[in-house]
Parts: sequence; structure tokens; C-alpha cells
Amino acid sequence: MSNKSFIKPVLFMAIVTVLFAGSLAAVNYITKDQIQFNQDAEQRRKILNVFDRLPEQQDDATIEQVFNDIIVEKTIDGKTGYALVENGEEVAYALEVAGSGLWGSIVGYLGFNSDFTETTGIDFVQQSETPGLGGRIDETPYKEQFRGIDITNAQNGNYLVNRPAPGGNIDAISGATQTSNSVINLVNEDLASFLANPEVK
Amino acid sequence: MAKKPDVRGVMEKGLFSDNPILFQVIGICSALAVTNLMLNSLIMGIALAFVTAMSSLTVSALRNHTPNHIRMMVQVLIISAYVILVDIFLRAFMPEMSKALGPYVGLIITNCIIMGRAEAFAQTNAPFISMIDGLASGFGYTIVLLAIAFVREILGFGTIFGMMILPNATRWTLMVMPPSAFFLLGVLMWMANNQRIKRERKGMEPK
Repeated sequence: MSNKSFIKPVLFMAIVTVLFAGSLAAVNYITKDQIQFNQDAEQRRKILNVFDRLPEQQDDATIEQVFNDIIVEKTIDGKTGYALVENGEEVAYALEVAGSGLWGSIVGYLGFNSDFTETTGIDFVQQSETPGLGGRIDETPYKEQFRGIDITNAQNGNYLVNRPAPGGNIDAISGATQTSNSVINLVNEDLASFLANPEVK
Repeated sequence: MAKKPDVRGVMEKGLFSDNPILFQVIGICSALAVTNLMLNSLIMGIALAFVTAMSSLTVSALRNHTPNHIRMMVQVLIISAYVILVDIFLRAFMPEMSKALGPYVGLIITNCIIMGRAEAFAQTNAPFISMIDGLASGFGYTIVLLAIAFVREILGFGTIFGMMILPNATRWTLMVMPPSAFFLLGVLMWMANNQRIKRERKGMEPK
């Protein structure tokens, strides 16, 4: 056996590659639907949480059913958004809010009622803040603060203000000032730009 | 190699006396990154042990047919195939864990332990013993990760595997941040190497 031959290594590499790539493609094909379903389930859970309509049972099937019953996909401020429909009327909207955090971009949804007077909640679909510090914006106690905040008489577009500043309505996360400020800023900016010219399609 | 390696010897080497992290000091980047929660460390360890074992097995099974000068290409191909397999599995069946580990699953491929075992062991040994060797190294890695994660999680979050142990203790923020893993790993290595030197002096470890 000569290792110097040119054909053999090329052929060998080609066969091995086809073999492995083929089996990976097969596995990918088999699990594709499951992965898509997981991602959708995650998104649905977050949107329901934004509207504070999470059902008691949080298994994927129940979530999907509740979501399909009461949520409609919309275009809000030119971005994908959602509307909460009750008794045939749209009672609240979820607006996509995005901006940069301390380490990477933060993307989330902010919910507010349909007369734009009060928030219903917030949830984040993407964030890469420090786990245990800034990452705690994704924990329930922090997000629960974003419910029922009056957004009618904000000063200079500051709908949300970190305490203890005057008019503060959100407790920042201690040890994660940068992330807390980023969240407040990106929500304020996107909310202001939407309210300046409310457009829901 | 002078004599054929046996299962017990190989296990003992991978787990303790030649532990990839403590003594060979390879594969430590992920060890530093995912050790702030014990569950993350455990899943990461199992994933790595699986990839190391399976790629060692495959590399060894193909070793007599692989042309020598392209063996690294073949090894990398095999390793990446198994890593992608693990990534798909986590995304399909453990989406929460997949999110928590983030990019580090994909980065298993760059973990030197796998390539190291493939080159140093699987290339010259039979498939079964190579798999055992990969498994042992993988679990040696897991043990060290769990030890670091234990300290970091209990001091940083007050929990073990997510269970509240110290509800009223002040959280030690540094433990959550990556630098703490450096300190802990350093201390652990120092202890382990100290122990080894002591044993060698007593002549307990046959050379």
C-alpha cells in the first residue's frame, strides 16, 4: 500500500465525508419539525407572558392552543408584533423592542393596552447579558415590574424610569446597572417612536 | 506502546492520574465558561464524554484504512459530525439546556481533549479500548467541571443543581463571573498536583 498515491486519500476522504454528512442530514431532517416546534413554543410562551395570559398548565400543547385562541399576528410600527383579541376586539398589543445591552443586542416584546395608556408586561426573546447579573432581566421578579405601568404622562419620552430617580417605576438589578439602563432606554426609545405615530396593521 | 492497555488502567488514568484538565491542562476554555451552574456542567460533561468516546471509537475503527497524511482531516470530520449530532439532539429534546449552553456546544469541536485522545490513543489502539479511553477522559473532565461548578453555584446563587441550599446567604457576585473559574481551577490544580508530588515522593506511584 503506497501512501503516496493521490487517488486513494481523495477517494477515502470523499467517502467518509459523504457518509457522515449523509447521516447528519438524515438526523437533521428527522428532528427538523421538533426543533421548529420548540422554537415556536418558546415564542408563544413569551408572547402570552407579555399579555399576562399564561395558562396554569404550561405544557407546549396547552400553550399552543391558548395562543391560537387569543393572539393574532400583526405588523406594529413596521415590525412583527402581536395583538391580544378578546370578545372580537383587540385589547392589547405587543411591540417588538430592540437595542444593545452590555454584551450584545437585547430583543424583546413590550405589551400595552389598545388605548396606549398602560403596559401589560415584557419578555425578552434574545439577550446575552452576564448570567446571574444582567441575565436576571429574564427572571420573573424583574419582568413582573413592567405590568400596569402608566404611559400617558411621560417626561421627554421617559415612560420607564429606574428608581430612585423621581418618577421611577422600575427597580434596577443591583450589580447590573448597565444592563438595567439599556433595557429602560431601548424600551423607551421604541415605545416613543411607536406612540409618535401609532400604526398597527 | 510496550504492553496492551487494560480497561481499569485506562479508566484510572483518564479520571484521576492523567486527568485532562488537572494534569494535561487541555480543554480548559469550556471548563471556565460553563461552570456557573452544576446542571450546565453536567450536561456539557456528558456531551463531551459522548463525543470523545464516539469519535475515539470511530477514529480507531478507521485507523487501518485511513491514509496517514490525511488522518487529521478525517479526525476533524468525525469529531465535527458527532458535535453537530449532540447540538441537534439538545435543540430537539432539551431546548432549555441548548439555550443555556449557547455557543459552547458547537465549541466542543475545538476542545483539545477530543483531538488529543484521538491522536494520542485511538490512532494506535483497538476500537473498544479507545472508546473506554475517550469515555474516561470525558468523565475526568466532567468531574473537574462539577467540582468547580459546585463551589461557584453554591456561593454565587446559593443553590445546588437549582435546589435552594443557602436562601439567606449573601450572593457572591464574583462567583457568577468567569474570573472565579480561573481562581478555582488554579486552586484545584494546585491541590491535585501537590497531592501527586507527595505520592511520588513516597514512591507510591510507579513510574
